[in-house]
Amino acid sequence: MTKAADKPTKQPAKQPKPPKLETRAEVIVPQVSSSLSGGSGLLHTETMTLNVGPQHPSTHGVLRVVVDMEGEYVTKVVPHIGYLHTGFEKTMENRTYAQNITFAPRMDYLHGFGYELAYVLPVEQLVGAVVPERAMTLRILLVELNRISSHLVFLGTGLLDLGALTPFFYTFREREAVLDILEAIGGQRLHQGYFRVGGVAKDSPEGFESMVAKFLETFDAKLDEYQNLFEGNPIFQERSKNVGVLTADTALELGITGPNLRASGVALDHRKTTPYAGYEAYDFNVITRDHGDCFDRFVVRVEEMRESAKICRQALQKLKPGPIQDDNRKITLPPRAELETSMEAVIHHFKLVTEGYHPPKGEAYVPTESARGELGCHIVSDGGSMPYRIHFRSPSFVNLQALPVIGIGGLFADLITVIASLDPVMGDVDR
Amino acid sequence: MSALLVALEKAALRGFEVQSAEYTPFKTVIAPLETMKAYLFDCKAAGFRLLSDVMGIDYLEYTTFMPERFAVSYNLLEPHTGERLLVKVFVPDGTPVPSVTDLWRTADFHEREVFDLFGLEFEGHPDLRKILTPEDLDGHPLRKDFPLGETPTLFREGRFLDPAAFRAGLTGKDSGMSGYRGGSRIDSSLEPRLPTASPDSMVREGGQLS
Repeated sequence: MTKAADKPTKQPAKQPKPPKLETRAEVIVPQVSSSLSGGSGLLHTETMTLNVGPQHPSTHGVLRVVVDMEGEYVTKVVPHIGYLHTGFEKTMENRTYAQNITFAPRMDYLHGFGYELAYVLPVEQLVGAVVPERAMTLRILLVELNRISSHLVFLGTGLLDLGALTPFFYTFREREAVLDILEAIGGQRLHQGYFRVGGVAKDSPEGFESMVAKFLETFDAKLDEYQNLFEGNPIFQERSKNVGVLTADTALELGITGPNLRASGVALDHRKTTPYAGYEAYDFNVITRDHGDCFDRFVVRVEEMRESAKICRQALQKLKPGPIQDDNRKITLPPRAELETSMEAVIHHFKLVTEGYHPPKGEAYVPTESARGELGCHIVSDGGSMPYRIHFRSPSFVNLQALPVIGIGGLFADLITVIASLDPVMGDVDR
Repeated sequence: MSALLVALEKAALRGFEVQSAEYTPFKTVIAPLETMKAYLFDCKAAGFRLLSDVMGIDYLEYTTFMPERFAVSYNLLEPHTGERLLVKVFVPDGTPVPSVTDLWRTADFHEREVFDLFGLEFEGHPDLRKILTPEDLDGHPLRKDFPLGETPTLFREGRFLDPAAFRAGLTGKDSGMSGYRGGSRIDSSLEPRLPTASPDSMVREGGQLS
């Protein structure tokens, strides 16, 4: 239906000569001889410890990084996290499965639907819910739209960290369009709480599909615009190419997943390798790049938005009218109208609201691909109506471990680029 | 041969128990604490190059008997085929677990998290500090005996509604307001039925607030 606008041919801009940057590890701090230091003949140098954050725009939330520096060069990076720790896991252990859907999107506030899906899937495995076709399609459509909005925030704020103010306004313009769609269907811009175990909360509103179609119509052209805006920019290239290089081996060793790993050349995408929630029916590519530097991490995400838009288009075509929730009354609330005529519906309603359903004893884990990497919810059920133990494998928490490894050896300004390119969301890190 | 088959074969050679859950497609290997690190080394050699997750579990209030109070569950991933294996180790309280940071560097944050939230020590971890909770917080929040810090709902004449009692029936241990315990919730053949929690027993007459 919608078609990518003709791509403006990218100017065969002369690739700037590979910058003559020193190999980062070999930088030697010059010991300047001067009379200033009095006597010793050497300039007084010492390792400076610099505290960055926790409240600083370039830390993307409340991340505190303690940096050891030799002059302008970073020698040691120690991230301190936990400023946003909310104890979601403990809270969720004391709420019923239905109540917990409220908490899920609040952890990663940029890709909330990803968390909702990650929470809902293992619970469905435990209770054996059957999700109708329309609900599955709606879920995938929303998760992918949300992934686009999350990557747009990454792109805007990431480039903002590098001093480019303009892209921020462009990307947030598109993001608002996505959030309008999400608001239309879920009622809120960020934390929708729209998915349910066995389906979604309610059917999409009138005109929803045309809203999505209208957005997708122009989105590819907008992406071309962004790519023209920053990818060929020599200043951006200078600041991001060969900066914060993460090789595939190191990335696997550090447990990095998602776009950060794919930028290092490993094509691990759970939507492809272990399809869940019906992704096997969609046609899309896994984007990889080879160098694993900050530039690649930016580019991979932009290209991924294109793939997400592709999935959204396919989902729109698959979206057929039909039921949106499992009709098993033991896990799904009966429709409101039924309460007036059926005693059984009243009983089910009462039981579900007061006590909730009781998944059998067991464990479930479903790996999903969030905008930041592998996101999985590990649930241990003891047969009660609250999860006995619920654990989120949050991608940002793990990805942040790359910071002390790839952040060192370069200039301090490069550290900011590295933080931006890893795309940590602190709500996701601290949970 | 796929990494998963190799790892399962190694587990069979060592005589470890392999559980296949009915709900999730992944297999769980139960490894004893002493040889668990050697087994994880074998798993890594078999192709599980990515340690996806380390999760702690406190089985203090679980409805069936478990060998030890705590368990640590390692979530291994083969990054090219997406194969996954869960390795679970039961740990008694106060016993250190061998750290796997030298096998996978990613275990660093994960083990610090388990140390912080469960109080399990990891032997050989290079930098075992608290990670998520504040420095001055005493205790380990995800232990089942860590108090929730809820406020009771107050009524006149000193009566109050205890949140824990209100939730009785939502857990697998007690029956709910309706007295129904749900066949799947507890293995009734093994454990005697607990008395029903009625709404009356939840409001305590003249209870003292601490």
